Amino acid sequence: MKNFKIVFTGPPGVGKTTAIAALSDLPPARTEVRNTDATLGPTHTTVAMDFGQVDLGRGECARLFGTPGQARFEFMWRIVAADAAGVVILIDNSRADPLGEFVAYLEAYRDLLPQMTFVAGIVRTEVCRQPTLDDYAEQLAARGLAFPVLEVDVRRRDDVQVMVDMLLTKARSRL
Amino acid sequence: MKERLVLAPFSVASLPDSALADHALRIVQALLVDLDSAGAILVASVDGFKLAHGGRLGSDPARLAAMASSMAALGDTTSRETGIGAPSCMLIESNDGRLVVRSMQLRGRSVVVVLLIGKDLPLDRVKNSLAATEARLAEG
Repeated sequence: MKNFKIVFTGPPGVGKTTAIAALSDLPPARTEVRNTDATLGPTHTTVAMDFGQVDLGRGECARLFGTPGQARFEFMWRIVAADAAGVVILIDNSRADPLGEFVAYLEAYRDLLPQMTFVAGIVRTEVCRQPTLDDYAEQLAARGLAFPVLEVDVRRRDDVQVMVDMLLTKARSRL
Repeated sequence: MKERLVLAPFSVASLPDSALADHALRIVQALLVDLDSAGAILVASVDGFKLAHGGRLGSDPARLAAMASSMAALGDTTSRETGIGAPSCMLIESNDGRLVVRSMQLRGRSVVVVLLIGKDLPLDRVKNSLAATEARLAEG
């Protein structure tokens, strides 16, 4: 069986754990604890990683890993991303500076960008229409990068599946 | 990777509750006395903020607090997944020392206590000190 590793990363509260739970065939393993940071919205936050798994059919499966969002856990980002077939960057369009957060993640994963497949999923665009997907694409182009940027609702399995399919299409071509 | 992070767009973490930090400092002081000042001790919130530390950690306390939080959460999740119950402590045994991680209740909040000790300090003594400290905290 071919086994792909997919990583979900992004700021705290964006929905990484929700995305994995939406797609995973089994209830995901979580490392959520009570959040003591008053500046964050969610009552609980992931401090190590999430893990789920999905059978893709035709002898393929994907292991789904989620990173913690807070920058103090950056040591986990690299651990979790090792040997991944692809990375999903989730960004919440309703936050104060979503483009700044997107750029911060591009910088954090800068040395992995040439060797891994990436997709960006922009959530809560129905709450806040700005910035647009074109604005995100411009940030990529300004850095000589190009990868898909989609509007997604991470509560919907189909939306998460589309992002994973995009990553795997490219990952398969590299095999 | 650390030097490449751009931190500005991320939220600024709130400072931990000062009363909780005071109690955490008492844990550190009690354990340092119990263990004859051997090694180093750090107390972190479950979500990875440093509350107090003492002794020579050999690492940035804020960074170690986040790592301790991750380790404690992974230990807890792994214990639940394997059906062996709630973990009482985790041990990393390395060439030149040991790292002991234990979750405790402090003023109704869960905290993570990390001990960095030499291999010459008997583990039973360390575990007994941690258990005694937790019992004293429970008594108030």
